[in-house]
Amino acid sequence: MTVAETERSRLFDETFLRRLEQLELASRRLTAGRMKGERRSVRRGQSVEFADYRTYATGDDLRQLDWNAYARLERLFVKLFVEEEDVTVHVLVDASRSMDYGEPNKLDAARRAAAALAYLGLASMDRVSVAFLGDGTASPMRPLRGKRRATELFTFLTEPRHERLTGLASAARAYASRMRGTGPLVLISDLMDPGYLDALRDLAGTRSQLSVLHLLAPEELEPEVAPDARLVDQETGQQVEVSGDDDLVDRYRARLEEWSEEIGSFVSRRGGAYVRVPSDIDLADLLFDVLRRRRVVE
Amino acid sequence: MIVPLALIGLISLPVIVAFYMLRLRRRDVPVGSTFLWQQLIRDVEANAPWQRLRFSWLLLVQLLIAAIVVVAAARPFTPVQSDLAANVVLIVDTSASMATSIGGEDRIALARDRAAEVVGRLPEGGTVTVVAAADSANVLVSETDDRDAALEAIDGITATQIPGDLTDAFALASALAAKDSDSTIVVVTDAAGDELPALGVGAPVQVERVGETDANQAIAALSAVRRSGGAQLDLFVAVSNPSGAEATRRLEVYADGELVDARDMTIPAGQRAEALIGSVPAAARTLEARLAGSDALATDDRAVAVVPAEEATRALVVGPGNAYLENALALLPRLELFAVGIEGYEDALADAEEDGTPYGFVVFDGVVPDEAPAVPALYVDPRDDGAFGTVGGRIDSPGIDRTDPNDPILRFVDLTTVHIGRARSIELADGLDPVVSTPAGAPLVAAGSVAGTPTAVIAFDLDESDLPLQVAFPLLMSNLVDALLPVGEGILPSSMKLGEPIRVRVDPAIERVTVHDDDGTEREVPVIGGELTLPGADRVGLRELVAVSTDPELDGKVLGTTAVNLFSNDESDVTPGDPTRITDMGRVPDDGPTAAQPARAEWWWPLAIAALALLAVEWLLFHRPTRRSIGRAFGRRPQPLGGRAR
Repeated sequence: MTVAETERSRLFDETFLRRLEQLELASRRLTAGRMKGERRSVRRGQSVEFADYRTYATGDDLRQLDWNAYARLERLFVKLFVEEEDVTVHVLVDASRSMDYGEPNKLDAARRAAAALAYLGLASMDRVSVAFLGDGTASPMRPLRGKRRATELFTFLTEPRHERLTGLASAARAYASRMRGTGPLVLISDLMDPGYLDALRDLAGTRSQLSVLHLLAPEELEPEVAPDARLVDQETGQQVEVSGDDDLVDRYRARLEEWSEEIGSFVSRRGGAYVRVPSDIDLADLLFDVLRRRRVVE
Repeated sequence: MIVPLALIGLISLPVIVAFYMLRLRRRDVPVGSTFLWQQLIRDVEANAPWQRLRFSWLLLVQLLIAAIVVVAAARPFTPVQSDLAANVVLIVDTSASMATSIGGEDRIALARDRAAEVVGRLPEGGTVTVVAAADSANVLVSETDDRDAALEAIDGITATQIPGDLTDAFALASALAAKDSDSTIVVVTDAAGDELPALGVGAPVQVERVGETDANQAIAALSAVRRSGGAQLDLFVAVSNPSGAEATRRLEVYADGELVDARDMTIPAGQRAEALIGSVPAAARTLEARLAGSDALATDDRAVAVVPAEEATRALVVGPGNAYLENALALLPRLELFAVGIEGYEDALADAEEDGTPYGFVVFDGVVPDEAPAVPALYVDPRDDGAFGTVGGRIDSPGIDRTDPNDPILRFVDLTTVHIGRARSIELADGLDPVVSTPAGAPLVAAGSVAGTPTAVIAFDLDESDLPLQVAFPLLMSNLVDALLPVGEGILPSSMKLGEPIRVRVDPAIERVTVHDDDGTEREVPVIGGELTLPGADRVGLRELVAVSTDPELDGKVLGTTAVNLFSNDESDVTPGDPTRITDMGRVPDDGPTAAQPARAEWWWPLAIAALALLAVEWLLFHRPTRRSIGRAFGRRPQPLGGRAR
């Protein structure tokens, strides 16, 4: 077994991959791609699915003329068909320090989810672009296509990351400015960054189909805080002294809900999907149940 | 409050509050991000050593606990009226039956609790004398008003294995009460058959009766008799069942520590069952019987016996020959038996004298010699006058009057089922006392000493009664022989009762004697003027006396071994008795019931319970499970799964 295969087996087993291939990333927004693929395109082309009529213009393919319409109306119309084209699937993983936390570790969970979603893209013959966001920059790998590139994908995703500082907004902006091709864009992040709204705004502005997997550790969803604790932010080093009691935990939970609501409504206003996920969620549950119900995958 | 000084402890309350206001030295807890927490906490940057006091259930509970403990330590009380006099003599029965312990009943513990309650009811300024009483009185604290000292003394009270006799305790209580007319005697007892003084006491007596159960069986008798010329011993065992229900108990017999017999014995309620066990090795020196399993009283489930090793006395049976009599005597290890007719009696005596082997004991069966022998003699059915007295007419079908169970001749002998066809009316010679009599007072069995010679008489023909057919017969013969042929100087009796002191003569060259009990304890007793006063044993078991002397021949010599047993029907019957026979001993003051005295009802203990309960609450509050840990315990995943639509 090669190193790459070992990495891949660390992420998934064969059975899981076979199930994975039955899914594909949903693209509710029709996109224009470069190659014929397995997705519907905004371009009209040659396929069996009728899309519309257009008045004949010189140079049009005479085979597309609707002779029945000409017989009735004595005007030439060309039948337009939906052309199936490829799209670019963008999977962005927040690799900031705050993600390297929790049991199970949020970054590990994000890598696995990203690998699964990207593999869906490869299996659908879409272009797949995967990037880590961290240190104020985006580190994308070159776009991939086809299942044969899966090993390359997994190797990239399992590489150790040593991000130091946060900078989700600037990293997202950097990626958005350089991204090529549109299609589903999945951001996997804990969004624990003051610039999280800017980041979401920039990514939503790329006309991609934005899906946000808001990944939080179980300790962040249901915190247990000692009565005499000083919380140390492992990303910024900031300290917060708390006296853990039920009241504080209640307030924390309320704030977390409020925050989730804010993000959810922000994303849905831009036509995206928002899913909050604990890092200990089973990957199969995430893909075959949660994301399917949210129509992030179909 | 009895100890108002304890309220100083209330200072602890502000101290606790101060601890809460003092900023804690916090533990660093790394988190992924403080992004959300920062929005919650406003006083992050406060570095002052004090912080604003915030409401906390933990603080509230801790303040309550501290306050309650301090108030309880001050021993608050409510003034009440006491039914006790100012001077209380508290007698706690510690006799063997108080060791009853079965199921939830620990009788002596109940007695301690009840005694402590009595101390709690003392009137203000009242004094108490605490007396532990088994067969004698033991004053633990005398006329003290220090309740703590009294309670401490009561805490140390334990039950003994000794039969109860409250005579001493009442004599003491009566003397104490005589000093102060305002006295009450309180007896904490199960009222189970303790001996009481014949005369009343000069103060009111209250009884705090404890105990309920009667579920007890006991070994009531254990006696070894050697089969004549045989290779085995015969062991007589009686098991009594004073309880109100039939019981089946397993009897185990050990010879020198080895199990030699085990059998189940079923004993009807209120009766006893007997067994003659022949499977005991003849070489055995000590025998032990145990009732396997447990019952209310463990003391009487074990009994021990010593098989005496002594030289046989030559005994001569004179008469026409009676198989029952000769067999019973032949069973006794102490006798080497010979028989002769009345016509050859004098020659036999003379021949034995000549041979240097004189007879030490003579039994006359249906005959009376012209001249009484100079050795101990037993006369059975004498037809003529003799040393024992004068023979009169015949008594047909004589009944048997109540007998004295404490008479050593009747030890273990049950005559209630014996029938006698005819007996002779005998006027006893001086020195003889009846042991068994008819209801009219005519002696049936008598024993004593005539002109310095131990003598006994049985006033009926054994063939005219069913006595020889009963287990009682060999025992009666054994006891009669023991009475007529007393053990030699310095030798212990083979059996002693618990708590019974004895005095024995020993070689004057012996300075002191070491008493070894079979539980490993030993103590030394001085010998004064060749006489040794052995204190009563306080537990069932074997006792051995070893001489301590400067004479090397005597030093370390085993002087004797004796078996100490309870053998007390009164103590084995653990059924709580009627307390009125004890209360009736008290004098009721002429001026009516004693006027109620002011007393204190302390209520620190409910406060202590409340403090304990609050302590538990405080622990729970401190270690309370979070919702997440509860969720984990029930196998729930954290709630916000991805299905949430935003």
